[in-house]
Amino acid sequence: MARVIDLHLHSEVSDDSRAPVEAYLKWLARKRDERPLDGIVLTEHRQFDTRSDYRDLEDKYGMLILKASEVETEYGHVLVYGVNDAMLQRFDFSNVRLRAQEVIDEVARMGGVAMPCHPGRPTIGLIEHYENRPPLEGVVGVEALNGGSKKGENERVATLIDTYGYHAFGGSDAHLVSFVGICATEFEKEITNTEELVGALRAGGYRPVDFRVRRAPAQPASSGT
Amino acid sequence: MKTLYFEEVEEGDELPPIDLLLTKDFVRTYAKTAGMDFPRFTDDEGARQEGLPGMIAPGVLSMGLLARLIGEWNQAAQITRIGTTFRSPVLPDCHIHLLGFVTQKDAEQHTAECDIWMENDEGERWVIGTATVVLPTRNS
Repeated sequence: MARVIDLHLHSEVSDDSRAPVEAYLKWLARKRDERPLDGIVLTEHRQFDTRSDYRDLEDKYGMLILKASEVETEYGHVLVYGVNDAMLQRFDFSNVRLRAQEVIDEVARMGGVAMPCHPGRPTIGLIEHYENRPPLEGVVGVEALNGGSKKGENERVATLIDTYGYHAFGGSDAHLVSFVGICATEFEKEITNTEELVGALRAGGYRPVDFRVRRAPAQPASSGT
Repeated sequence: MKTLYFEEVEEGDELPPIDLLLTKDFVRTYAKTAGMDFPRFTDDEGARQEGLPGMIAPGVLSMGLLARLIGEWNQAAQITRIGTTFRSPVLPDCHIHLLGFVTQKDAEQHTAECDIWMENDEGERWVIGTATVVLPTRNS
């Protein structure tokens, strides 16, 4: 059972990460006091990982491990939770020009939920595209807190949420082992499987949580020294 | 700098951070020395004409600085692989912070995997990456 879950991270299954899932879990066990997570959701880029079976790791580390996908659309990147065979037959997840409205509508119809991630990021985030295109129908929530965002990106999302009434969630977007769980989502109800996750994401009753620790930089030396 | 043996290195160890003022003069000198004497690396106006906000540091300079992070942590660490993702242009005349952790060890190969990254004062991670290093052992 899980209440605090990192809803967005990438393992070595993605083409831009070398992080093994077990290394993530060991890191979270080591950082338990700073990042009190109960679960993670692997959101591999442009694919759904049908091969990996993490049940042994769930038992070994006492963590919920679920699988989802990060796909690419003309409105930016979208996380798809509750991926099933019907969705994989309906969409080519490797297509970087998926139609966002189709993804949101069809994923919902097929039992999942599609939620835009890092919406404040240039080019691959929702906000920039809302400046030139009509808003999407059926969006229930957006990633309001992304661990990889730069200054101002997460802040821009607050206005988006106020305007459209979206639910807000968080994820680390970790590609490196040591970044897992720096941002996550806290649910009001326990989550034990993908179906419950999808139901909760649709219904609301969750919030982003920020576990980042800012270090105090030392007085820097010149690069020339 | 010091020598750390494989047996002394633990998963979770932090590489001692390096905090630097990355000056434009340093970047210019590096670019010219490395045969990369292009406006984007040497001149603000020239860089702006290429659509950049100002002169930027070459990617190999950033990788070199991250390699320095490892070298200063452990002078005996032999880097066998280093991979980086450039999340944002590295703009000189600012403070940068080089950070890293040992995340995995391989007892058979006597290697360690390190997360390494460069961030600014705001905590924005401009360059992230990983490196694999071979470490000496007490018995070798």
